Amino acid sequence: MRIPYWNISYGILIDTVALVAVIVFVFGLHGHWKRIRLGKVRIRSANVDHPGKIGPVFVYSLLKNGILGAKLYKKIFTGIAHGFLFWGMLVLALGTSLVVLNLLFGLPVFEGIFNRWFMSFFLDLAGLLALFGLLFFLVRRWFPPERLITPRERTGFGVQIGLLAAVIVTGFLVEAIRIASTGPDPFSFVGNFMAGWLPADALSVHRIFWWSHGLLCMAFIAYIPYSPMMHMVLVPTNTALADPRPGSKMGVIDFSSFDNDDDEEGAAEEMPTLGCSSLADFTRKRLLDFAACLWCGRCHEVCPAAITKKPLSPKGVMVTLAERLAAGEVEDATLIDDITEDAIFACTTCTACLEACPACINQPKTILKFRQNLVMEQSRIPELMAKAINSLEQRAHPFFGTGSGPKDWCKDLEVPLFATGETEYLLWIGCSVTYEERAQKIARAMVRILESAGVSYGILEESRCTGDPAKQMGNEFMFTELAQTNIDEFNELGVKKIITLCPHCYNSFDRHYPLLGGNYEVIPHSVFINRLISNDKLVLKNSLERICYHDPCYLGRRNLFFDEPREVIRKVGQLVEMPRSGAESFCCGGGGGNYWAEEVGDRINQVRSKEALDTGADRIATACPFCLLMLTDGAKKFTEEQKTFDIAELVAERLT
Amino acid sequence: MHITVLAKVVPDYEVPTADFELTDGRAHSRYTRMIGLYDENAIETGVQLKEAYGATLTIISYGKTQDVTVLRKAIAMGGDALHLVLGDADDPFVIAANLKMAIEQLGNVDLVLAGQQSADMDRGVVHSILAGMLDYPFLPQISTIKSEDGRWMVAQAHENGIRRLEFSGKGVLSITSSPKNVPRIPAVRSILAAKKKPVEKIDGIPGTPMPVAELSVEIPKMESVCEFLPLDDMAQTCKILLSKLREERYL
Amino acid sequence: MKALIVEVIDAKRIGELVTVGRIFGDTPDVVALGTGDIPGNYNKAYCSDAAVGSNLIDGLVELIQKEGYEVVLLSATTVGAEIAGPLSVRLGAPVLTEIIGAKSDMTVTRPIYGGKAMTTFKINQTPAILTVRRKYFESAIAEGTTTPVPLAGAAGAIRLVSEEAVVTEGIPLDDAEVIVSGGRGVGSGEKFTILRDLAGILNAAVGASRGAVDEGWAEPTMQIGQTGNIVAPSVYFAVGISGASQHLAGIANAKCVVAINKDEDANIFKRARFGIVEDYAKVVPALIQALQEEQ
Repeated sequence: MRIPYWNISYGILIDTVALVAVIVFVFGLHGHWKRIRLGKVRIRSANVDHPGKIGPVFVYSLLKNGILGAKLYKKIFTGIAHGFLFWGMLVLALGTSLVVLNLLFGLPVFEGIFNRWFMSFFLDLAGLLALFGLLFFLVRRWFPPERLITPRERTGFGVQIGLLAAVIVTGFLVEAIRIASTGPDPFSFVGNFMAGWLPADALSVHRIFWWSHGLLCMAFIAYIPYSPMMHMVLVPTNTALADPRPGSKMGVIDFSSFDNDDDEEGAAEEMPTLGCSSLADFTRKRLLDFAACLWCGRCHEVCPAAITKKPLSPKGVMVTLAERLAAGEVEDATLIDDITEDAIFACTTCTACLEACPACINQPKTILKFRQNLVMEQSRIPELMAKAINSLEQRAHPFFGTGSGPKDWCKDLEVPLFATGETEYLLWIGCSVTYEERAQKIARAMVRILESAGVSYGILEESRCTGDPAKQMGNEFMFTELAQTNIDEFNELGVKKIITLCPHCYNSFDRHYPLLGGNYEVIPHSVFINRLISNDKLVLKNSLERICYHDPCYLGRRNLFFDEPREVIRKVGQLVEMPRSGAESFCCGGGGGNYWAEEVGDRINQVRSKEALDTGADRIATACPFCLLMLTDGAKKFTEEQKTFDIAELVAERLT
Repeated sequence: MHITVLAKVVPDYEVPTADFELTDGRAHSRYTRMIGLYDENAIETGVQLKEAYGATLTIISYGKTQDVTVLRKAIAMGGDALHLVLGDADDPFVIAANLKMAIEQLGNVDLVLAGQQSADMDRGVVHSILAGMLDYPFLPQISTIKSEDGRWMVAQAHENGIRRLEFSGKGVLSITSSPKNVPRIPAVRSILAAKKKPVEKIDGIPGTPMPVAELSVEIPKMESVCEFLPLDDMAQTCKILLSKLREERYL
Repeated sequence: MKALIVEVIDAKRIGELVTVGRIFGDTPDVVALGTGDIPGNYNKAYCSDAAVGSNLIDGLVELIQKEGYEVVLLSATTVGAEIAGPLSVRLGAPVLTEIIGAKSDMTVTRPIYGGKAMTTFKINQTPAILTVRRKYFESAIAEGTTTPVPLAGAAGAIRLVSEEAVVTEGIPLDDAEVIVSGGRGVGSGEKFTILRDLAGILNAAVGASRGAVDEGWAEPTMQIGQTGNIVAPSVYFAVGISGASQHLAGIANAKCVVAINKDEDANIFKRARFGIVEDYAKVVPALIQALQEEQ
């Protein structure tokens, strides 16, 4: 049986040191809290009903992302190395605690099978694996991948890697010396192995190593809040508080309270700063995001703007914010110019960054908050986006200079108007489908499908935008105005169910309209078509055509409709997948108002079109008019053939 | 310094040709109404002068009561007040006489700006008639304005380039679009504040219209019907094309 | 009917106004801004060194009243815009701008709503002032020249400080009456040469679609469309351009679009007045040939 604190006098002193370490740790923790506390208290907390939500804590997200670190394993080697290190150290810490418990309360841990397997074999294994993990990270810091060093690398890992390595190595040495003196411990395979290599007089330094091991441990713990290792606390906290629903979860702003006609002069003055221009304008949750970020650059790697050499890197934004936060510069409004207007407007709101982030940081929300401030407070917006916003204000659609009238899409078609009490579904056409010639065919195809399936549907007399482009460009005010007009009309007409042709419309109706008093059952057209096929309402001729499906960000990643459109495609052809698909799909470049952008760098739509064409598919299918328009344009660089189609067009073609 | 900008509310000037229709010789009432294209450039120019010289900026319009909602945008962009002369005349002399009345009521106007032409009648003459009536000097197609030692220094976007001109005292300038006067998207705070600003509504005067009679208003035949030329003999095709272009006065 | 032209010394511009003047009566008299002889033969010709049209108003009022002119003709240009309005007030005369058609019974036609509609007016009183949109009337051929006599009274409130002519290589897109524009269908930067050749003969400017600019085949300053130059030429040759709406937004005011594209479904044909569904490499050389034969 092992004797705790073997060969050590006054070993209990180490626990006194531990107390000091904990005090230093708590002091550092308080420093973080003090900075994060400078953020605004969220007025409308993530108040959605969510299964497994206790108070503000999303338990499932905490377990999956905070404790298990599930997203880390998307990069398998890093994931495993992190797993070795984290779980290894956790097991070792547990083992050490058990020693203390044995000492204090006589907990029988050094006996029998538990001693053999856990205290000896398992702890040795944990130490070894943790050491492997450390080695991996050490090598990677020497030969860092691009994502780690763009725009710069987070410093401070070195000391902690060194400390941990020293802790493990001294731990093994202490064990080996003990074994060398007291005889082999059959299950402590590392200790036994090392004992064989020790010089005879090793016992003389046993005490030195024992105390070093203990003190280094304490140093590590005390240093955590002052180093990037603080992520051990911040990341799980962040994942626990992060609303796990997909998308950037922008919410809505209720402007009516600032715009009350009954109020006296100056009611508008009470309006808080719209969007964010300094750190102090952000909520505590956002500041926690910035503090929790490890600058791993996984977001940078998947960002369509960063990939195509635009001035935006989501990691870059986080780095700037984290540095300002660490320096305590929370009131400084030059922040927004540091990040630059160009970067802020380059975001396509595709949320690939958010999806990739192991720490559940919501980068798009931060970027959009800056955008809101630029647009709504400072009147700063790129010229083309300004034109689109202006057109939205003037004509309720952003397609300035369109060659189409509002009824052009349904010329020579007889499309019923929505009739109160008679029509079941409102077929919502939306702005791009109305005013962009190529996209008009989506609506025409959908009308054929609905007629063929005998669905009770109707359209509105006037066509308007949902307001999504305004919202994505940062103009919440215009969004709420447009949304309110639509909600008023829907409610007056008694609309209950809506079929959308555009995932952006779907997202607005589904996510944001309920917050403004508009509750409807909203169904994306791809999902509705799939439902019609499953219910045998549509008879389709299948084909051998190879069809590659591009997931629209607002349908897939943001609303998790991955399977339905694929099932539809399998009914009309052979489904082909691109390297980046599903939740990892790559944006078409048209989101976030960037349909109206003077694109710098490479063209996102060309990058994506090439990826699609490289699959060798005969056609490219998508389920979003913006994707359709962007990819149609992008494919022109590579082929003269018209290869990009909406899912509805493909289905309408194959109706029997 | 007191600057006024003349702004007119017009039917959507971007209605595609194929979708354009008339009722009683004017654009169909179904088109949304908005501030004229160049008028927005003029308002932006006025706001910039206000910011640069601390001027007072008054927006003056001639139109109907329901135009006020549209014209609020001019206030949101930076105008201090809105004066709307009520009337529905289409005659440039009548409109100019009404605008003159509004300007004289203000009393202390230093500079009158207007878009170089309205986006409905496309005349580009009301402001210069107004200048004649006020007996102020008039300059069209101005892109930038500066005030130096009590003189106005302006740049005119002439057909052949830029002319820099100066004058002192009062004047009427028509504003053209330039990269420097892209209309701003008003901040939300300003939009909300603009709703509370008072609007001065002035009853219009009949004025004396020009002695001309409008005989007809017609939509010209659709241009968008593409005539595909024969392909058998390309040399012949090109000759046909050139003669057709000349016949229809395009070349 | 006695007419007076007020115009800068430019044979074409004056010629167009002479044509309009002859619809109403004899060859008009002329007041020219600038110095030197005036192309064409006129009964009476005056000149003024007024730097700005506005400064000429007093002199013109006096002349028109003295000589009893019934129609004053200006072109719809900067000078025309400077003079027409104030002059009409001083004379108490009706003024119609940007006219594109005229008949001897004093009916004139002018576009409204950006050319989407045409209005016809009957003028019931003289003198009347008309500004004439350029390129709508054949320029009368000027025979000989006339030496003008100076017109008095050119003092005015406005001083010309400086004048900068914009120097552009070739013809600037903004002013071009004819534009030859190439898109992705052109295939390469070198192949734009043939478009330049065509433009050279037509006295046209060369433009490009965003696709061609993206490919680096054409300069960004040549880009036509929503994100480039908005142009309003009389004739727009769209060569290998598919006609995305963003491009069409830039040529909304082109009067006549000639589309040359081998894809008969190309959107550009919807906007075009004339279409040739053929490889441009066959069409453009034939067009150059046809133009050369004419010369």
